[in-house]
Amino acid sequence: MKAAAGTCLLLMLAAGGAPAQQPDSLGSWELLVGHSYSSARALMQPATLTLEKVQGSPLYSVLDVGALVRGSLAARSWIEMGLRARAGSARPESQQVYGAMARVYRELDPVLVAVGGEYQADGGFDVHSLDATAELTPLGGLPGLGTWVSPAVHLRWRPWIGAAVGDGVRPYARLSADWVQGRLEAGIEETAWLVSGSGRSFVKGDVSVQLVGGVFVTASGELGRSPPTWERSGRFGLGLGFRLARSH
Amino acid sequence: MRRKDGRGHSWTDGGVERAVIRIVRRLSPGFARKRITKKTRLHQDLGWDEYYALRVVKPIRATLHEELEDRAVLDLRTVGDLVACVWNAMEVPA
Repeated sequence: MKAAAGTCLLLMLAAGGAPAQQPDSLGSWELLVGHSYSSARALMQPATLTLEKVQGSPLYSVLDVGALVRGSLAARSWIEMGLRARAGSARPESQQVYGAMARVYRELDPVLVAVGGEYQADGGFDVHSLDATAELTPLGGLPGLGTWVSPAVHLRWRPWIGAAVGDGVRPYARLSADWVQGRLEAGIEETAWLVSGSGRSFVKGDVSVQLVGGVFVTASGELGRSPPTWERSGRFGLGLGFRLARSH
Repeated sequence: MRRKDGRGHSWTDGGVERAVIRIVRRLSPGFARKRITKKTRLHQDLGWDEYYALRVVKPIRATLHEELEDRAVLDLRTVGDLVACVWNAMEVPA
């Protein structure tokens, strides 16, 4: 049994955001970098590079990063194109994910609709998937949906429902929730898919305590099965983090 | 100083500010009127997530007769940014 004398160092890098724009933003583009592009919640989490040292073993790395380029298409719609990697030497190739996507949003208040395409591959590029996706979320209207439950309870949530069409049709639902209280932030996001008549789910969460400015102590974890391999995986990391991102 | 909205109605900058704050307040139940000013941050102070901010588009169209682009709304940081966004969209009288 390996000694559990491990040290973790999380370096969190995130950048994003542009100053408030004038009403005519057609033609302007914005780069956002975060934990993943899978959702607004994931994008606003810091990108993470975790270095793990286990006694008697080399230094391992765990990388989660996503980047998006966002631009206007019309007054009520915009496009995002992104790349992401869930990789590092500490993850076996089968649990690594590389992806690219393009997604078009159309605001139809009271809902927001997104359609797009996503390519995903495992670390060895042995398993590929190319899916078309369509999903929607209500902009608001229920307590805590997209905004704090109340001035005293800084909890908010957002649901998405959608379907991916590739090697079959795969309906899915995603629910994310954030809680902020003073220097403490916590977030969780769960996605559940219906694949060939059986359910798959993947949940990830993080808890951060702000030390000063953009420096945090952060614990993050994930568990479940995610595309394209649907292999069960789980990990937990703890360390110091640094973030430069607009808060949502 | 006055400007005209999309239907030709005349507004002062103070009038636009009051109208925008009323809209923001309706979208932020529980927040006291005095807590919402031009300096109020939409995300940190009111807790709006990225997409919730899009809810301002419809009431601004209905009240101030201005059509804000979604992408511009996504980048707003404060109530003051929103006021400026609407004010800058209005027509400056000749």
